[in-house]
Amino acid sequence: MSTDTKTATVVRKSSANWMFGLTLIGLLLAMCIVLSLTTKSFLTEANIMNLMRQGSMIAILAVGETFVIITTGIDLSVGAVVGFCTVIAAWLLTHDFSITTTIIVTLAVGVAIGMFHGFGIVQMGLPPFIITLATLTSLRGIGLLVTNGATINIVNDTFTEFSRNDFVGLPNLFWMVILVGIPAYIFLHHSRYGRYIFAVGSNMEAARLSGVNVKLTVYLAYTLSSTCAAFVGLLLAARIGVGNAMQADGWELQAIASSVIGGTSLFGAIGSVHGPLIGAFILATINNGANLLNVNSFWQRIITGLLIILIVYFDQLRRRRG
Amino acid sequence: MIETNLHGQMAEAAITAASVPILELRGLEKRYGATHALKPANLSFARGEIHAIVGENGAGKSTLIKLLTGVITRTSGEVFWEGQPVGLATPHEAIEFGINAVHQEVVLCRHLTVAANMFLGDEDVGFGLLRKGEMTRRAQAILDDLGFQLPAHVLLGDLTIGQQQLIATARAAIRGTRFLIFDEPTAYLTRTEAAQLFALIGRLKERGVTIVYISHRLEEVFELSDRVSILRDGTLVGTRVTSETNETELISLMINRSLEQIYHKEFFPAGEVLLEAKNLSGPGFHDVSLSVRAGQIVGLYGLIGAGRSEFVMSLFGRQHKTGGGILWQGKEVDIRSERQAMDLGIALAPESRRDQGLCINLPVGFNLNLPIFSHITMAGLVPFSADRQRADRQIADLQVKTSGRGALVSSLSGGNQQKIVIGKWLNHGARLFIFDEPTVGVDVGTKAEIYRLLARLLAEGAGIILISSYLPEVYELADELHVFRRGEDIARHAYHTASHEEILSEAIGV
Repeated sequence: MSTDTKTATVVRKSSANWMFGLTLIGLLLAMCIVLSLTTKSFLTEANIMNLMRQGSMIAILAVGETFVIITTGIDLSVGAVVGFCTVIAAWLLTHDFSITTTIIVTLAVGVAIGMFHGFGIVQMGLPPFIITLATLTSLRGIGLLVTNGATINIVNDTFTEFSRNDFVGLPNLFWMVILVGIPAYIFLHHSRYGRYIFAVGSNMEAARLSGVNVKLTVYLAYTLSSTCAAFVGLLLAARIGVGNAMQADGWELQAIASSVIGGTSLFGAIGSVHGPLIGAFILATINNGANLLNVNSFWQRIITGLLIILIVYFDQLRRRRG
Repeated sequence: MIETNLHGQMAEAAITAASVPILELRGLEKRYGATHALKPANLSFARGEIHAIVGENGAGKSTLIKLLTGVITRTSGEVFWEGQPVGLATPHEAIEFGINAVHQEVVLCRHLTVAANMFLGDEDVGFGLLRKGEMTRRAQAILDDLGFQLPAHVLLGDLTIGQQQLIATARAAIRGTRFLIFDEPTAYLTRTEAAQLFALIGRLKERGVTIVYISHRLEEVFELSDRVSILRDGTLVGTRVTSETNETELISLMINRSLEQIYHKEFFPAGEVLLEAKNLSGPGFHDVSLSVRAGQIVGLYGLIGAGRSEFVMSLFGRQHKTGGGILWQGKEVDIRSERQAMDLGIALAPESRRDQGLCINLPVGFNLNLPIFSHITMAGLVPFSADRQRADRQIADLQVKTSGRGALVSSLSGGNQQKIVIGKWLNHGARLFIFDEPTVGVDVGTKAEIYRLLARLLAEGAGIILISSYLPEVYELADELHVFRRGEDIARHAYHTASHEEILSEAIGV
């Protein structure tokens, strides 16, 4: 227990965090290089743009999900919120509401769903897993009920073109990741409530006794997660040009996987914004690469599963040593 | 099978003469880093005796239990089981010998039935299936035999804590136990339950089981035990035959210590009344009235569970009061939240570092600044420079030994962690500081630093409530000392107006 060994441990830990981020980027680059060499179609403008679009939506979901996971919670509803919000957006647009109104109302729906999760967890004392699981199934149900199971076509070119267009050589969808990522980074690492999210995830009682408004912090994390999901709902509705409650099936798992691959600890208090972003694009590259290599799409799911085990295992090893 | 075990044991006990001690400790010692939890102790337990162990909180009783049950390994010394040297390095090994412990908190499965708990790990199986009916029947027979009027088929969680304790004892009794340790067994028991427990202990003794009985309640020690050993500050100070000693002698042995000259006491003129509790009641404490003045330390002494922490948690808004009132600088206040208490000017360093005081897997700087993020936030953001400066200044002021503000709190020693628990409140501008067991698990050097810090706070015009289960600490530091027992403030003494013996007697209630 001498001071020297402690110092050494600490230095290694903080540098290891950077190492982990760099390792993830290295992994992403390595996959890209391998795919560029083994397939003709990977390194084409069309494919790269497509990959960025695919990864972007999960990336935004993963950032929101990360806030929740850092508080030791989980949000299983994000996929359902995305699907539900495509319906909301499509319904509003087909009823001649302006795009601005549509965006505001859809995001407000996201805020409301997040508040509801906060209410369930804080006021009703439900486990996050349960309340968000309940929302997952109910929102799909409400969406189907509202549309009678049908798909609403969006006839609004300004809206639908957004997700297909580019800006300064990058897809608009990718710009949206930056639009969400930078404020999210500032919020999580440089604002008071960002720190409270870590404090609540690390030790709720210590946070409370330090004057942290634990309830408000929990509300905030779930509201941010659902709002990110509502935002992705808007992007998806624009991209596919329809509103359908069954869209984005299983995206909550992809969001959680991205977050975990990006170094977020399911035990709370460990996580970042850049990690889940890279994680999401790693997943997108795997899927994209598997398609190009003609790997059976069923295998993609298996590969994703194995990758999660591998990355999290190595992360655990690193922490245990530290 | 288990019943045969009981009989086998009795036969064995009859055959082997009681000449060789069943368990003998020679120079048994335990160190945790710089802390000397148990100084070399020589002690032998005779077969079939009831051996009581008494001592203040932190005297080394739990260390001794953990050593005997193999939960921790000794630093040095030897242990002899029936004359043979043994390692006693794992709980499994201890159980193999027949050493069991019944803890104050029941460590059984609340969601299983009483019978399932009694046979847990030793289930009765036929053709690979549990024979539940058979087990319930046998469990009931054992309970009836022991004279407990408890059903074997109900869930353990449906019983009171005291009844659960009896089940835990019964479980230990049927497991071929030859050496059974009770750690404060009557803390949660009603009188009837305690009587049942004593009857069981008596029967176990008749069967030749050696009993180690740890209790604060001296009357129980005199009622039950054959011999009694006294621990003080990690030292085994003596063993007496119970019938040849008395309460006065035991108490003087428990506290007769050479005072370490680390207490740093400065006297300040008492200033305005900061806080006054009027007949305050709440969960765990009842009808407490006291006031704290600027420049003064109010000490709260008592045994663990006497309601002191609950009382201060109520002052801090963590738990709501159920009766009485609080005056803050003369004005009636209703403190409903921790934030409200902090805004009034109250700071609280809680009892448990790990559970209440620290975010252990977050950095030092983060922990130090957690209460003041709201103060230093500008335009919604925490300015990096303010964050860094304050953390670095605190680390330097408190001389926290760490590689820097970015180091995780978990990498620090106990003493340095405690400095953070206390230090995070010093920048907050509080007037009343509540310190709940601020020096537990802290080395002597850090203790002295903490005491000097208290004096500095007083000099700056603050008032302090100091909770300690270590009598010399509150005795030497407190301007006014309150003694708590079972949720009530039963006595108050001005500085050095009562003897240690009087105060300890009040706390124990003899």
